Amino acid sequence: MADPKMRFLVVDDFSTMRRIVRNLLKELGYTNVDEAEDGAIALQKLQAGGFEFVVTDWNMPNMDGLTLLQTIRATPNLKHLPVLMITAEAKKENIIAAAQAGASGYIVKPFTAGTLSEKLNKIFEKMGQA
Amino acid sequence: MAANNDSADLEALFDSIASDFTPVAAPAPAPVTSPLPAAGADSDDLQALFDSIAAETVAVQAPAATPAVQVQEGGTMEGAAADNWPKQEAVFNRIGHMARTLHDTLGQLGYDKLVEQTVTALPDAKDRLAYVANLTEQAACRVLNATDIAGPLVDDIENAATALGERWDKAFANQLGVAEFKQLAEETRAYLKDQVPAKTRATHAQLTEIMMAQDFQDLTGQVIKKVVALAQDLEAGLMGALLDVLPETRRTEEVASLMNGPVVNAEGRTDVVVNQEQVDDLLDSLGF
Repeated sequence: MADPKMRFLVVDDFSTMRRIVRNLLKELGYTNVDEAEDGAIALQKLQAGGFEFVVTDWNMPNMDGLTLLQTIRATPNLKHLPVLMITAEAKKENIIAAAQAGASGYIVKPFTAGTLSEKLNKIFEKMGQA
Repeated sequence: MAANNDSADLEALFDSIASDFTPVAAPAPAPVTSPLPAAGADSDDLQALFDSIAAETVAVQAPAATPAVQVQEGGTMEGAAADNWPKQEAVFNRIGHMARTLHDTLGQLGYDKLVEQTVTALPDAKDRLAYVANLTEQAACRVLNATDIAGPLVDDIENAATALGERWDKAFANQLGVAEFKQLAEETRAYLKDQVPAKTRATHAQLTEIMMAQDFQDLTGQVIKKVVALAQDLEAGLMGALLDVLPETRRTEEVASLMNGPVVNAEGRTDVVVNQEQVDDLLDSLGF
């Protein structure tokens, strides 16, 4: 497990989903979680600094998750941030587009606590190697 | 046809006026007066037709009207060769005819009913879906609130049991004095008699709350079934209308988008994944 104080930003336009992800992260031991309801708000919060991990939905108003991911990767002070996508978009071209844009992980909804835990650990492992 | 009757009447009127006037004056008003009243009469007819169609169709007039116009254009082309084009009466005649055919075709194809149904059904479907969204959101909130309440209760039971257990381990290892042992016995009794039952009852109440929060399923299920039936009716009707007007070559074009939402029916599709393993396999195969 990575640092339990690691600061997460959960981005989803549905408050229910944000709450579920927040609860799952809490169960995994990560209690330092903030939320944003779309990519634009997320970007504002990320620019303010202090975040170490982004969990984002894809289909959101104002700025979607892929654009958020691309923007993060194109911003020098944010591009190192791990970005895990949790989305209902299940077309293969979605997954490829996300991977090419630099997503750290891709989870399709509906998902389980086990999947989230597994993907987080995989991302932390890779971060540790880098 | 109104235009024919009108022009015959006008012809007679013109003839009667022409015979009263000098031959020089006659040709001037003739071309003007002859078509104009005819146009007036026809546009009254058209207006009435439009009003009757518009009253039935309102919002979705354009798409439904298109096939009938297309059909009519074919007729016009054939008819145009046979008819004498330069005659303006023929034009008004044809326009009147088109309007009539449009109206009749809409009726015959059932599009007028379809359109009427669409206009009344869509706002209804919208309300129904909003109702579903509302109920499911409420249910999600109730469940999350219940787990927020029940979680700490269960944690308390677990933590207290762990603490007491450790003290009992000490007691069995003869590490406790008589007074300490007495206190442990009393605390354990209190834990078993009061704390555990109170907290499990409270947890059970939250489980009941979670169960009751599922009552939306019955209500939303009924509503969704109705909306699905409506969508099927509309789809069948609109597909029929679309197939009438859409060129063959454009019928297979797919909407390519990266924001499609959940895959509702993955059967027979190769462009989507159905579970997390497939996501992982795909990413692995691409070297990510």
